[in-house]
Amino acid sequence: MYQYSEQDQRLIEERAEQFRDQTRRYLAGEIPEDEYRVLRLQNGLYIQTHAPMLRVAINYGLLSSAQLRGLAEVARKYDKGYAHITTRQNIQFNWPALEQVPDILADLAKVQMHAIQTSGSCIRSVTSDHFSGVFDDEIEDPRPWSEIIRQWAALHPEFAYLPRKFKIAVTGSAQDRAATQVHDIGVRLVRNDEGRVGFEVLVGGGLGRTPMIGKQIRPFLEKEDLLTYLEAILRVYNLRGRRDNKYKARIKILVDAMGADAFRDEVEAEWDRIKDSDLRLTEAEMERVRGHFPAHPYQNDASEDTSYPERLASDRDFAIWIERNTVDHKVPGYRAVTLTLKDFLKAPGDVTDAQMDLIADLADRYNFGEIRTTHQQNMVLAHIKQADLYPLWQALAEAGLARPVVGTINDMIVCPGLDFCSLANAYTLGVARQIQERFDDLDYLYDLGEMRLNMSGCINACAHHHVGHIGILGVDKKGESYYQFTLGGSSREDVSLGKVLGKSIPSEEVADTLEKIIGVFIENRLEGERFIDCVRRIGNAPFKERVYASHH
Amino acid sequence: MPLIINQQRVNDDTWLRVSEEQPLPSAGDRLVPWALWCEHKATLKAAEGRLGVLIEPDQELEALAPDLPDLALVAINFPSFADGRGFSLARLLREKYGFTGQVRAVGAVSWDRLRFMARCGFDALEVPEERYSDDMLQAFDEISVRYQGAADDPRPLFRR
Repeated sequence: MYQYSEQDQRLIEERAEQFRDQTRRYLAGEIPEDEYRVLRLQNGLYIQTHAPMLRVAINYGLLSSAQLRGLAEVARKYDKGYAHITTRQNIQFNWPALEQVPDILADLAKVQMHAIQTSGSCIRSVTSDHFSGVFDDEIEDPRPWSEIIRQWAALHPEFAYLPRKFKIAVTGSAQDRAATQVHDIGVRLVRNDEGRVGFEVLVGGGLGRTPMIGKQIRPFLEKEDLLTYLEAILRVYNLRGRRDNKYKARIKILVDAMGADAFRDEVEAEWDRIKDSDLRLTEAEMERVRGHFPAHPYQNDASEDTSYPERLASDRDFAIWIERNTVDHKVPGYRAVTLTLKDFLKAPGDVTDAQMDLIADLADRYNFGEIRTTHQQNMVLAHIKQADLYPLWQALAEAGLARPVVGTINDMIVCPGLDFCSLANAYTLGVARQIQERFDDLDYLYDLGEMRLNMSGCINACAHHHVGHIGILGVDKKGESYYQFTLGGSSREDVSLGKVLGKSIPSEEVADTLEKIIGVFIENRLEGERFIDCVRRIGNAPFKERVYASHH
Repeated sequence: MPLIINQQRVNDDTWLRVSEEQPLPSAGDRLVPWALWCEHKATLKAAEGRLGVLIEPDQELEALAPDLPDLALVAINFPSFADGRGFSLARLLREKYGFTGQVRAVGAVSWDRLRFMARCGFDALEVPEERYSDDMLQAFDEISVRYQGAADDPRPLFRR
């Protein structure tokens, strides 16, 4: 993975010291509240319901074991012994003291971590495919490109005060695990007719209040033009994006208002001016960054191990976990393992300091010291050789990290909701527990096939409810939490926005409603059909009829 | 109002702010709002002394470009701390239109934006009295690493 140069390291150390001084001046009354708010947000610091919340960047979801231990140490030393993985592959601490945040940042800098641009109206930390480099069908590893974008975006002097937040996702595969179509910019590695690899560029996707699917504005961009093209897009957006209404300030609104063609024309005119500037990437730079992501030293004979098939045959629980929580790796004899942070009745995405330390140790022992975070709020050990799967599974199971629920409704994406977040309108964690309690028969869930459930506690859609196969949006009705269902969303290559089922329902009926939805699915399901395909085939009407039958 | 030029505090600002309410001064360094400039361009140019124009962040630079040879200064207003359009305008003035006169930031100019402003091509920074302190000059040196090229140096880190 990327190793910081002396300059990369110096930048994050200086940024930590700069923030320490900003906080000192704020506490001394030298920076007004509204200015400090902008400054702290650009450094990932929110003021939440109970305490500040610090969001630390895990750039494109990639961590070393030393970094994960650093995060565990922060959770222990400054927080309540746990942290929360976000839907943008970052990690949040919910209970730090404002005065200690500069010390946390200084500690994080020692393991090459920071909170730069994890919030605020700026270019946010870049996200990518958590299975980068794992599958054969990948066009190219997206991580070097994510790192190149990270460096360009970090403390960019021109784009620190955008109309609104700005999110970029990168994928190297036609299998879109990075939700590139619902990002402000989606960058997709593609191969053109001549066999050259470059980028397809999408602009103006996003969720939140006004969900939209990104529009392609460039079918093919040469690699060396990546940064000049991004800079042209950002410049047009910085100048033209609306600043009079924060609900209309995202680039998707601008692209929609101008029309994708007019927006493209303006971007291309600016790009034409700067494409041959010094910002054009050099071969040497592309090579340098690529060189930080070499193939791991895999063992050629990993598939010859015989203990693995024996364990599979003799231990049913292990076999179930293998089937549900692991996928085949392009190197024979290796599998990529998802560590589910979805333990029974625990807040989805939460991970304790002890679990982080354990995962770091396991990564050192079995996975070349590498860990990834996913936008489904799980973690991944991507390169486990088959002989190691059994001892890994045992260690994970003991720590509550091996619940075989990947892709089921127990693998929910859930934001923290009203329990923690000052933006939220409704509680989410209690409802998640209600769902887990009702659907505790994991074999039953597995038989239902892939069923993605995303639940957000407000319209900001941090849990991407619009693109869940089943989406749940918490709303406030006279001080009570109610829940609106959408069906048929997807963030993948077959992207779609879920359609609202009907009026929102009270919290105690959420699990019942899910049961009715699943009932309709089971009755209508064709053999092996996925839930989302069924919804696309039969529409919302049969589900709506069943769910609201008793309310008529 | 305290003025920083090329990262140093300067004590004499020769520029006189012209407003709608007053008669046009007949000479000297005059800084004129865009609307007034458009209306009295000929008269202003006929008088002795240098001219500057004050623009708002929604200014179309295409409209200003033909006048740049007549101008020694372009001042860009920052109406609020969150408004970042001026950063792009300054870079475009420098890098697209090749403007070599003074580019001055006015309005919401404070410590934590000085470095980015300087990088984007502002050589003059006008800081509201109540927000000025000599300490703020250290803002230019807080971060010594620059990944990006900008108006101050077009080379990104990978070309330096």
